[in-house]
Amino acid sequence: MVGAAPRWMAPVALAFVAAIAFFMLVPLAVVVASSLSSSEFLVFPPRGFSLRWYGAVLQSDAYLAAAWTSIRLAVLTVVISLTLGTMAAIALTRFAIPGREAIASLFLSPLILPSLIFAIGLLMVFSIYGDGPSFTGLVIGHVVITIPYVVRTVSASLVDMDPNLDEAARMMGANWWQRYGLVILPQCRAGMAAGAFFAFNISFDDAVVALFMRAPSVETLPMRIYSTLEFSPNPSVAAVSTIMIGLTIVLVIALDRAFGLGKIM
Amino acid sequence: MDTHLAISGVGKTFGTHTVLAGIDLSVEKGEFVTLLGPSGCGKSTLLRIVAGLETPDAGALSIAARDVSRLPPEARNVALMFQSYALLPHMSVLENVRFPLRMQNRYPKPEQIERAAAALDLVQLVDLNDRFPRQLSGGQQQRVALARAIVAEPDVLLLDEPLSNLDAKLREAMQLELKSLHRQLGLTTVLVTHDQTEALALADTVVLMNDGRIVRQGSPRDVYARPDSVFAADFIGGANVLDLVVTRTGGGWQARMPDGTIVALAPDPRLGEGPMKFMLRKEAIRLAPEGGDVGGDAVAIDAIVETQNYLGGSTRLALRAGGLSLIALVETGPDAEAADAAVRIAWNAADLVPLPGDV
Repeated sequence: MVGAAPRWMAPVALAFVAAIAFFMLVPLAVVVASSLSSSEFLVFPPRGFSLRWYGAVLQSDAYLAAAWTSIRLAVLTVVISLTLGTMAAIALTRFAIPGREAIASLFLSPLILPSLIFAIGLLMVFSIYGDGPSFTGLVIGHVVITIPYVVRTVSASLVDMDPNLDEAARMMGANWWQRYGLVILPQCRAGMAAGAFFAFNISFDDAVVALFMRAPSVETLPMRIYSTLEFSPNPSVAAVSTIMIGLTIVLVIALDRAFGLGKIM
Repeated sequence: MDTHLAISGVGKTFGTHTVLAGIDLSVEKGEFVTLLGPSGCGKSTLLRIVAGLETPDAGALSIAARDVSRLPPEARNVALMFQSYALLPHMSVLENVRFPLRMQNRYPKPEQIERAAAALDLVQLVDLNDRFPRQLSGGQQQRVALARAIVAEPDVLLLDEPLSNLDAKLREAMQLELKSLHRQLGLTTVLVTHDQTEALALADTVVLMNDGRIVRQGSPRDVYARPDSVFAADFIGGANVLDLVVTRTGGGWQARMPDGTIVALAPDPRLGEGPMKFMLRKEAIRLAPEGGDVGGDAVAIDAIVETQNYLGGSTRLALRAGGLSLIALVETGPDAEAADAAVRIAWNAADLVPLPGDV
């Protein structure tokens, strides 16, 4: 039974929600507003109104190259993370594997481990056994930090699945490929979509692993933003950020339309 | 009629626990068999072995004169309807029913669709072909699962507690429908249930299982009327079990109740002198008219009504008679509502069925 909340709670709850909204939305609003400034410097409140910084971003080779790197990186991360994570989730939820608990914890450990420490370790490993930071290293790093999300969301879908579906499919004459392709994977769809969304966002947004794995030729968008902010802060940073916010919103809406967010997160 | 499904010497052990111990069972073509028993008796495991989802440790299995012991489920042409229905949630009703034909690559696509639609007609599910399982009621989902199980004309149709997720009223209606569907299609059917009413209502042959063994097997009437053990008597129908002492008299047999009352027994080759257990069905006991004639082969004794429950169509009496507590189910109870009303009860001598399986 859900009881009614005591009366005195209402104003407290309202204040709490207002505080959350304030600290979450105001920074975003500041960024968006700054991006529309016509001044040379990143200031708030913005001076004048202009879309010039959007134009500047879209004409900047540095930004475009960084965006392209980030998109390639995120897409590759999603593909690899989704494949491995889904296979891991299926194996961990459907089969009695020896040491299952330990393996499951291992897959989820990147969630708990500080990514800074992981990034330092990754850099050292690549420096010892490879040629130091590289795009490949970055992909591997991002796969590691995103895989827990895929394992979590896909496992959640599988736990909801009728455990008899696979046997029922067998009884109806489905072979191994058909059982996975037509019966089990379709049950994972919502979890895979959510996992892919998380993986894309985390990879696209990551600055920690990217900071350590940064090579002269490999600069992601967050790194570009960071160094612009550091050396020549101008509203182009805000414009790029606004574009990223917009992209995220579009992704969330698309996911909600296709699967219903309430169901998969 | 010939044996269509033959199970011989099938045994199964999980760890140290023997689930099935040497099961022999033959099912004729078109026969409807129910496997009945309490949970953990091995009936579901036996069904899964026939399906091929479980491998027996011993014994052999043949369907339509073909040894299927080593065949995987997908090669057996056996359909299994799960208790949970196991409908594919991402496929429409029609696609679900078409699925077996599609997987087995039978018929061109238009004919698959036609046959799936015909199967849905047969289970009286119309105009729902494009719905998804989650949009259907439990009863409708059950019909989809049934249509999907029969669409590919399996050699053997296996049903695992198919009606247990329905409410009582719908379950009764579905028992009638299932029986008529079986009559129409003539599919060899094995149904697992723990519900004795369902087992009796549907089967040509009831197979009663306990502890991994078949303890009684026969037509519903036979199994109900002539159980051979306390377990069989009690599990099917529920009954009074009486501890009596049997003695031989001149031409026949009689039994002494604990308080010394002597009752006549009908001749039965299973009778022997000494203490024996007997079954007396609740509905075999009737109220005898005071001092009136109860009929030639009937036994009448005095009883006290301790309590009665009015059940609508019948009345349940808790009786004390011959030094025993008895439960009777009669059409109309005694008029007196008072406790401890004295009545005279009667039953036919043949209704006192010996249970030689237990001493």
